[in-house]
Amino acid sequence: MEAPPVTVMPVTGGTINMMEYLLQGSVYDQALESLLHRLRGLCDNMEPETFTDHELVYLLKGQQGNPFILRARRSLSHPTSPWHLRYLGQPEVGDKSRHALVRNCVDVAASHSLPEFLNEMGFRMDHEFVANGHMFRKGAMKIVVSKLSRILVPGNTENTERLSLSYLVELNVLAPAGQDNMSDDMRSFAEQLKPLVHLEKIDPSKQRH
Amino acid sequence: MSGCPAVRVSIESTCEKQVQEVALDGTETYVPPLSMSQNLAKLAQRIDFSQGSDSEEEVIEGEPRDREWTKQEPEEEEGTVKFQPSLWPWDSVRNNLRSALTEMCVLHDVLSVVKEKKYMALDPVSQDLTASKTPQVFQLISKKKSLGTAAQLLLKGAEKLSKSVAENQENRRQRDFNSELLRLRSQWKLRKVGDKILGDLSYRSAGSLFPHHGTFEVLKNTDIDLDKNDLDGSISPDIGDLGTVALFRRPPKTKAGTQQWHVKLEAAQNVLLCKEIFAQLSREAVQIKSQIPHIVVKNQIISQPFPGLQLSISLCHSTGEKKNHRASPEKPKPDDHLYVLEHNLHQMMREFHKQQLSSVVMPHPASAPFGHKRMRLAGPMAYDKAEIFSLQQNEGLLEKIIKQAKHIFLRSRTARTIDSLASRIEDPQIQAHWSNINDVYESSVKVLITSQGYEQICKSIQLQLNIGVEQIRVVHRDGRVVTLSHQEQELQDFLLSQMSQHQVHAVQQLAKVMGWHVLSFSNHVGLGPVESIGNASAVTVASPNGEYAISVRNGPESGCKVLVQFPRSQTKELPKSDVIQDAKWSHLRGPSKEVHWSRMEGRNFVYKMELLMAALTPCP
Repeated sequence: MEAPPVTVMPVTGGTINMMEYLLQGSVYDQALESLLHRLRGLCDNMEPETFTDHELVYLLKGQQGNPFILRARRSLSHPTSPWHLRYLGQPEVGDKSRHALVRNCVDVAASHSLPEFLNEMGFRMDHEFVANGHMFRKGAMKIVVSKLSRILVPGNTENTERLSLSYLVELNVLAPAGQDNMSDDMRSFAEQLKPLVHLEKIDPSKQRH
Repeated sequence: MSGCPAVRVSIESTCEKQVQEVALDGTETYVPPLSMSQNLAKLAQRIDFSQGSDSEEEVIEGEPRDREWTKQEPEEEEGTVKFQPSLWPWDSVRNNLRSALTEMCVLHDVLSVVKEKKYMALDPVSQDLTASKTPQVFQLISKKKSLGTAAQLLLKGAEKLSKSVAENQENRRQRDFNSELLRLRSQWKLRKVGDKILGDLSYRSAGSLFPHHGTFEVLKNTDIDLDKNDLDGSISPDIGDLGTVALFRRPPKTKAGTQQWHVKLEAAQNVLLCKEIFAQLSREAVQIKSQIPHIVVKNQIISQPFPGLQLSISLCHSTGEKKNHRASPEKPKPDDHLYVLEHNLHQMMREFHKQQLSSVVMPHPASAPFGHKRMRLAGPMAYDKAEIFSLQQNEGLLEKIIKQAKHIFLRSRTARTIDSLASRIEDPQIQAHWSNINDVYESSVKVLITSQGYEQICKSIQLQLNIGVEQIRVVHRDGRVVTLSHQEQELQDFLLSQMSQHQVHAVQQLAKVMGWHVLSFSNHVGLGPVESIGNASAVTVASPNGEYAISVRNGPESGCKVLVQFPRSQTKELPKSDVIQDAKWSHLRGPSKEVHWSRMEGRNFVYKMELLMAALTPCP
């Protein structure tokens, strides 16, 4: 029996070409209540959703300089949910007038054997952290307010230490490539959150030190 | 005088009134006496007011004069009291002052009494026309000046008043706008963009995915402008016929407490929902493949749930907003709305919205994209196509509403069939008990076929009809289950056959009560003419002493046939035969004769049968 045909061309279309539009900001702990209150009013009318996630960041160091980064995330509050594997590409250097950070995004749901699989593939875990907070939704926009905590003992998610006295606020939208009108909606939404929190595009490449 | 008996003395006053007339029967009419005011007037006329005494004028002036005192003194002396002229020089002064005081007191009393107007009134006394005549021009000018000053004062006061009222109104208007805005904000979503106040009346925050933005703008000073801000900036109010709505004009038509803007905004929201429903329905009508394709024409979706039945869903957009459902046979009747289906459409749309917002969609872990929780498992659990298909919702809005329409139509047609049979056929009677608790896709009715007056005896035919979307399932009392299609004729034929069976069953039950013996019974006889609807049934019963027998054959089409078998001894035309020698054989039953059932007395079949049985049972 011969092997099934393997396509030589890279796979395009479908979920491969999704772009993530991202705006980030932060608020102090004291301002959290008012921010949640405001988001509850602005976003879709649902019960507020809390989450606790554990994220592991895997690196594959090749011969080239830039390592290949994959993020594996699982939910601690819903242990039966599948793992989520994410690849985030380089931010697109389009016109400066675009209000949000745009980067290629590949999302894959995976079973619970994901960490072993990545280890077998050659990835090494770089760091891990626990994020917990609240999730909101407005149409296609997702707003996540999360508190990041550092894991002191690798693998032990109970023993965590808060990284900062503030909460990270992220506004992101997943859209197929080519749709640019989402950034305007995101910007108008971000305007409504001022002056509680200033959401802006933060280029991760400029964060390296 | 003491000792004498007391004498009664009566005193009578003299008749004071003058007799005016004495009537013929002796009654006297008196001249009515003068009343007080009349009396006073008569006396006052005697007084000459023009001839005022000099002392009065001097009293008014307040300065006594010597030469007048001599006149006064003799007047006083002529009065009742005579006294010596006083020795001291101030006596006359004293007297004058005293008289002046008296005069003043009297004047004061008179004026106070006159002021009350109860006991005295002032009447004008004719004056000399030679009173001082000031020139008329002077009078006119003086009057004009005084009026002018009065008018000035009044105008100044009015001006101040109007200014304060205007200010008050302005303040109130300001406050009114804010309070109205507050009330608006408590019910609708508003946000401030720049210097404009925009509102959102779409269902997007409730889970709708309709791309319409549904914004409206709130303007100050009596206007709420309901615009749609399209991308090209033109103001096109295609959400119904909404112009500017005055915020403060409250026409008496609206109910108490409802603002006009509230009504308009609600109407616009309804329009938006109806548009969304129609867009969803038309999208499904085009995409979904069905046996009979749905036709989508501009504002109408036409489909044929049953052959001969047309369902049209149209979006009617006028000053009001309506959506029509017309389930019509060949000729459409425009007034035939199916409000139930319209309501169900709205409800299903809202359910769809709610599903979008359910927490099942929220991702755990948080970085995953939105989507149904179970679909996310499809990858890791390696679902195949069948499993994925079963997860997804495979019935759209259009299919659901067509199913509901089919059910409603089938149910109404079933009811109509049963009712028409019940009104057409009196014997036996058909009763339908509809169940109160129904589903959108299923209803049930219990049909009883009885004879009037014999309900307790003949209750063998009881049918439970479960009306579904396309079929009717009939469960008989004896356990048989029959599935009928949506054809009206099938149900009617079935009920007719059951009615004919009931008659025969009734005879069987009656026989038990009357003491007759059932010799044979068949629900479906194979003899006699073939019925086009169902089968004929027959029963034969024998009298208690065995002499008579009644045979009944009843068919849905052929009607009933009743034969009575007489004993041999009663028949006249019995052929003489040598075979039968013994006389006892004459007690057997012989030939049968048909009964003219239509000429039989009795209001229904069972009653007639009872009379027949009673007639054939001889009294002991």
